[in-house]
Amino acid sequence: MLSYIVRRMLWLPVLLAIMIFITFWLGFYGPGSPEQVLLGQRYSPETAALVRRQWGLDKPFWVQYGRYVLNYVSLNFGESLTKYPGQPVATLLARRLPITLQLNFAAVMLGVPVGLLFGAIAAYYHGSWFDRGIIFVSVFLRAIPTLVAGPILLFIFAKQLKLLPVGGWDGIFSPSAILPVAILSTGIIAGFARQTRANVLDVLNSDYVRTARAKGLSEVRVLLGHVLQNALIPLITIFGFMLGGMVEGTLITETIFGIPGMGLLAFEAINARDYPIVIAITVLAAVVFALSNLWADLFYGVIDPRIRNT
Amino acid sequence: MARLLEVKGLRTQFFTQDGVVNAVNGISYTLDEGETLGIVGESGCGKSVGVMSLIRLIPSPPGKIVGGEVIFNGQDLLKISDSEIRSIRGNKVGMIFQDPMTSLNPVLTIGRQITEALQLHLGMNNAQARARAVELLELVGIPSAADRLDDYPHQFSGGMRQRVMIAIGLSCNPQLLIADEPTTALDVTIQAQIVDLVRKLRDELGMAVIWITHDLGVVAGMADRMLVMYAGMIVEEAGVKELYANPRHPYTIGLLGSLPRLDQLTGEKLDSIEGLPPDLIALPKGCPFYARCQYRIERCKTDTPALENVGVGHRAACWVDVTRDPVTTENPWHTA
Amino acid sequence: MALNAKPRTMFSDTANRFSRNLPAMMGVVVAVAMYAVAIFAPLLVTADYSAIDLDNVRSGPILQHYFGTDELGRDVYSRVIWATRSAAFVSIFVPALSLILGVFFGMLAGYFGGWVDTIIMRVGDILFAFPGLLFVFFIAATIKPAVLDWVKTIGLREFAKQGYVDYIVIFSALALVGWPGLARLVRGQFLTLRNREFVLAARAIGTSNWKIAIRHILPNALTPVIVAVSGGIGGAIAAETSLSFLGVGLQPPNPSWGQMISDYYVYWRSADLWPLLLIPSIILVAVILAFTFIGDGLHEALNPYLE
Repeated sequence: MLSYIVRRMLWLPVLLAIMIFITFWLGFYGPGSPEQVLLGQRYSPETAALVRRQWGLDKPFWVQYGRYVLNYVSLNFGESLTKYPGQPVATLLARRLPITLQLNFAAVMLGVPVGLLFGAIAAYYHGSWFDRGIIFVSVFLRAIPTLVAGPILLFIFAKQLKLLPVGGWDGIFSPSAILPVAILSTGIIAGFARQTRANVLDVLNSDYVRTARAKGLSEVRVLLGHVLQNALIPLITIFGFMLGGMVEGTLITETIFGIPGMGLLAFEAINARDYPIVIAITVLAAVVFALSNLWADLFYGVIDPRIRNT
Repeated sequence: MARLLEVKGLRTQFFTQDGVVNAVNGISYTLDEGETLGIVGESGCGKSVGVMSLIRLIPSPPGKIVGGEVIFNGQDLLKISDSEIRSIRGNKVGMIFQDPMTSLNPVLTIGRQITEALQLHLGMNNAQARARAVELLELVGIPSAADRLDDYPHQFSGGMRQRVMIAIGLSCNPQLLIADEPTTALDVTIQAQIVDLVRKLRDELGMAVIWITHDLGVVAGMADRMLVMYAGMIVEEAGVKELYANPRHPYTIGLLGSLPRLDQLTGEKLDSIEGLPPDLIALPKGCPFYARCQYRIERCKTDTPALENVGVGHRAACWVDVTRDPVTTENPWHTA
Repeated sequence: MALNAKPRTMFSDTANRFSRNLPAMMGVVVAVAMYAVAIFAPLLVTADYSAIDLDNVRSGPILQHYFGTDELGRDVYSRVIWATRSAAFVSIFVPALSLILGVFFGMLAGYFGGWVDTIIMRVGDILFAFPGLLFVFFIAATIKPAVLDWVKTIGLREFAKQGYVDYIVIFSALALVGWPGLARLVRGQFLTLRNREFVLAARAIGTSNWKIAIRHILPNALTPVIVAVSGGIGGAIAAETSLSFLGVGLQPPNPSWGQMISDYYVYWRSADLWPLLLIPSIILVAVILAFTFIGDGLHEALNPYLE
């Protein structure tokens, strides 16, 4: 178990180093050199040369890369070029991240329990109308991209019924949070219900559940004592992936609803070709992804004796 | 001896996408207290489903017990409520399953898995149940039992896990122990140990045993009586010595022919039964063994034979008398 | 053996079960319709996708414009039809490329194990950890212009102008983030299959590694791969939508449903234009659903004893 943890932990910095290298490499050979983006209309060979010297862009690849890594390690992600000129990317991220975290936290708190419950009930009564309904609805909901669902919900609830605001952000406990949280948690519910159903069904058909029933245990005790734990173990991975995809998952939702979180920042930066921001968000998203998976792996070890004892 | 179990016309079906599978087609037999009954037959002949139906352990859906009675201690187990049948499972009737690698819950300690039934059926508290669990593990021959109570199944070998399964099956002193091919998944040496263990425990505890196997050799030294099943039906029933000495159903003869014997001359080939059992979704009319039978006559094609007495305590379901009638078809398996 | 039983093969059994699955069959109908429309698009359209009808801006459904026109006066019906081609390309190119990469690397990793396995799986982990959309954005922003320049320099200016380069770069980027999942699947299958008796038997008679991997293991490992790929088609089409929204999908003027939805999504505010948003949305969802149902149908038909 210890060597397993250590191995997982060591992989994290390696992964990050590679990530940073790839993003830097793509940025280095990218189109529209930074000085072009920076100077815009004022571009001339003279000003360009000045900027290049000022920013160290005339140095060789490896020198620039070394400085870049040092900056990243000390949480200096550079400055925004075009969208918020001169503002440190780190400050922008720090301002935007809490909103995205709140949004995701609310969606997870709502989506995971509901998804688990629906999936477990569907599996237990598999073949029933409830099960068919759950399968159909979850397949259907998963097939609707946010880009389709968002405007339609806005049309119904904001334009026609005038029940909810058309967007913006007044905090997580305001009506402005209802639609985005609904969209995010619907995705979680659909995904979790489907996966839980498959896992529970698997476990229900297992030999050890038959053993438990042969002992004369009541169905409730079979479910709580034998099925649940085994069915939940694979869901940890799914949960890790889900958290890991958080930054990207909110990109479209936040943009459609005009919520000033990380997702909207990414959208703005992409449209403005503001590379320092895009790169920082990419690396951050990768860190979140790697951390959630590390967490999931460690949690696996805690809950599953087969891993714990090796 | 008193009658413990009487099965009458038990029928179990599975309702699948591809059609209705007739897994068990009206089987009847009895079992006395302390008696050991062996049930043999090929894979998929309804042996397991037949015994699981006794305590309604059929996955439902798709499975369903569609008819018959199971009288256990004078009570029809198919008619009592769910909570009543649960108070019999694991308590009056213990079970051991085929694959010890998958039959234990991987995330619970074996101690927990043994004490569960004790606390439920015998109302023991935690300490009592643990003490009893240690006793049980010692009984089934697990060394330093007390230390192993908090280990997980993956820390045990296959044979040891099957011993744990037996401990679970025996935990509440059942009147009947059902062993569903408990040695099939084990090495040959371990098989013998498990058979010996169950025989010893049966003699000590005085319970009745139903032992299912596809291997006639495994049960020979242990069973009092044997049932031979084919395509969800009982085709022959006899005392164990009688069955080996005087098999009356062509299928039983085939099974015995495929068994290696120490008293046989060396160099003789083992016989095997050609062909496959019938499709249980579309059972043919007439005798289910017709297509593979070397004694078959015209009548077998259209009429299904019933179990008839052919000797003392010996029943067989066949239109022909294999002791008198000649072989009618040249089947490749009859080469001896 | 029952004498009257007709011989059944695995393929006919699977096809039988699949054809009895109503949603899956409906999915097949929708998919076939989509490819037919894509092939015969030039015969079906009433206008060019970029043609502007200044007399009929925001017209609503009229005789010349079945689905109406947008704010620029473009015929929405024709744009939807043309966009079917983009979806058809996505649905073939991305899964095919992911499949080739995934099967190849998964096979190598699963069959040879050891350091080959470690390297391939680690590369897969890295690609997996990248946020897919942002990664494709990077590729589109950095590599695409370079590829475009290169294509122009080798004299395929027309080819570049028609947006095919766009297709290829974006789709390749999607496949690049898509293959690790498949590779993992194939690897897992290989790991369990490579020690099976039939493989040991093949090895015992001296069959070469490649022959064992391709002739003996691969066919047995393909079932879950087929299911994953068919289910993934809907995902690829959805991903194109998100990329269009970020402005790095297929570039105008070649329309895609994603691009149309991105262009029109602001219409939810205006009562007369919002059907324009609804039309490509419904078609998009129907196609994604169709491929999901096909994937699920295959899954159930190939694993009949699952439930």
